[in-house]
Amino acid sequence: MKLLNVTNRYYIAIALALLLISSAFLSYRVFYLVDNEISEHMLFEKMEIEKQLSSQRDIQGIQFIIGDRIEIEPLDKFTTFRVSLVDTNKYDPYEDAVVPFRRLSYEQLIGDESYRITLWRRLTETDDLFSGVAFTLLLVAIDIIACFYFLNRWFSKRVWKPFYRALSGLTHFDLHDGERISFQRSEIEEFNTLNVELSKLTDKVARDYKNLREFTENMSHETQTPLAIIRSKLELLLQSEKLDSEQLGHIRSSLDSVNRLSKMNKSLILLTRIENDQYNVSEALNLADLIKQQLDKFDLFISSRDLTVKTNIEESVTLNINPNLADILLTNLLSNAIKYNRPHGELNINLNKERLIISNSGAPLTINDDQIFDRFKKGEQPDSVGLGLAIVKKVCDHCNCEIHYTYEEDKHKFTIEFGTGKINGKVEEA
Amino acid sequence: MKILIVEDEQELLQSMMSFLKGSGMTCEQATNLQEAVAKIDAGDYDCIVLDIGLPDGSGLKVIEELQKKDHQTGVVIVSARNSLDDRLTGLNIGADDYVTKPFYMPELVARIKSVFRRRSFQGQNEIVHNELRVIPDEMLMYVNDKLISLTKKEHELLLYFLSNSNKVLTKESIAEHLWGDHADMADSFDFIYSHIKNLRKKMTDNGGKDYLKSVYGVGYKFSNE
Repeated sequence: MKLLNVTNRYYIAIALALLLISSAFLSYRVFYLVDNEISEHMLFEKMEIEKQLSSQRDIQGIQFIIGDRIEIEPLDKFTTFRVSLVDTNKYDPYEDAVVPFRRLSYEQLIGDESYRITLWRRLTETDDLFSGVAFTLLLVAIDIIACFYFLNRWFSKRVWKPFYRALSGLTHFDLHDGERISFQRSEIEEFNTLNVELSKLTDKVARDYKNLREFTENMSHETQTPLAIIRSKLELLLQSEKLDSEQLGHIRSSLDSVNRLSKMNKSLILLTRIENDQYNVSEALNLADLIKQQLDKFDLFISSRDLTVKTNIEESVTLNINPNLADILLTNLLSNAIKYNRPHGELNINLNKERLIISNSGAPLTINDDQIFDRFKKGEQPDSVGLGLAIVKKVCDHCNCEIHYTYEEDKHKFTIEFGTGKINGKVEEA
Repeated sequence: MKILIVEDEQELLQSMMSFLKGSGMTCEQATNLQEAVAKIDAGDYDCIVLDIGLPDGSGLKVIEELQKKDHQTGVVIVSARNSLDDRLTGLNIGADDYVTKPFYMPELVARIKSVFRRRSFQGQNEIVHNELRVIPDEMLMYVNDKLISLTKKEHELLLYFLSNSNKVLTKESIAEHLWGDHADMADSFDFIYSHIKNLRKKMTDNGGKDYLKSVYGVGYKFSNE
């Protein structure tokens, strides 16, 4: 959810709650006041009637100037001084409905005769009152909320602009291209602090990344010579006639370790070189041809494991890629699919304009699926360096392709989605 | 065969000197560009093993210098992994072959001998080893003058052994020689074993001796006896 919507949502919720509480209070107050006013008014009427009745002995001559309905009925006997004031419902002939009335009744002696005098006063219906109040308040609420919403939008957009700029800068920040983010100065102190801190942070990350890259690069290059020396010395030692089998065993394990290091070194250098964009010259290569060439190279290894190769290769699919990288990519994927296949297993290759899918039968991974492209992550293959798939991933990143791994139906499946614009499936001129 | 090794790394230089001498070559050494140029001015070599990254300049200058005189010298570049461009430039301006650090010594020897063969006899010579005769450019071998055909890999394997006779060759170095980047396929050692078995059979079945010896778990050796 967007920041703006969150604040708006809170504002609106608070406004609604406030309006609800105040409308309840308001309705209560209005009702109370109106109610009070009616009672008071009726009591004034009573006083007026009393006054008129006591000065004018003749009932018939009383001028009733008050708008309410008045009933005067003679009583046999005066019973009480009590004045009763009750709300009741009564049939109203004008409205032809039973509507609320307030009734004030009391007994009065006029001369010697006692009368019951009853005043009827029509009350506003409570429902009407409430709906009136509610409707008014609703209008107010809508006005306020709409104002809130648009003001807040306009305001936030203005105020938060530097923030969104910084955010978009961070989104587009890429360690590889080495460009710094330019932050906009703002009149708001917090944003400036944020920008300063972000600048520091990204600079540091970029610096660390550069150092790390340089370190890996130097490390890999500087280890080449010592490795070459160790290997050469071991090979010389191996030529000695006087070695017994135990000594030979030691030399063999030393050589094995040197070879492992050397493979690792080779892979790391390759990774570094891809990262440093040293393979930037690409050309449109026919993938179908490349795959067939690779399969030829691996033929011996495929037949020795008695693998069934099923291919569904669309001809004339070309990809813009550096030839060395294409070779590395396919070699790594195919050698993996062969090496970690089970005997008599399957190797499937599907190629079309959108994607390349290489899948092979084999036992499931012992590591998480999403770690498969990480450096030095390997399952239970002790002789593997664990960089092959890291290189594959790097090559894919480099040529804007997407690779993902799934395991389904006892098969390891690697799918490379060719990015848009990088692929053209046009038929090549023969 | 007279070789000049140009390498600034002392220890590696010494190893190469020992190994090449052990393979019957006569070796001289140079540890920098200046020394190397002086040496090729002074004498003729059959082959130069050339490290590109020298302290006082690029080893490619040695090749340029070499081109100035009428020479029959082969050049094998020893390059670091990161210098693909150097390697390509080297081959373009007249180097014959290259190995990448860290390399296997027998591989270097095989390359030198192959360059030497190409340079001196345009590849038309034969390699003779007692009753064996091998023609490098054809997949053929004569055992006691009997013509026997070889597979491509058997032929490559045999040439590798003959270039390094009486030397212990590790399985890794053989695998890399035969399959290059695919050498680390899990079963490549089994293939070496079966290739060697076939090769041995082809030789012994036709009255040849069994020269191919297994060296305890490490590799194989093509013995002289």
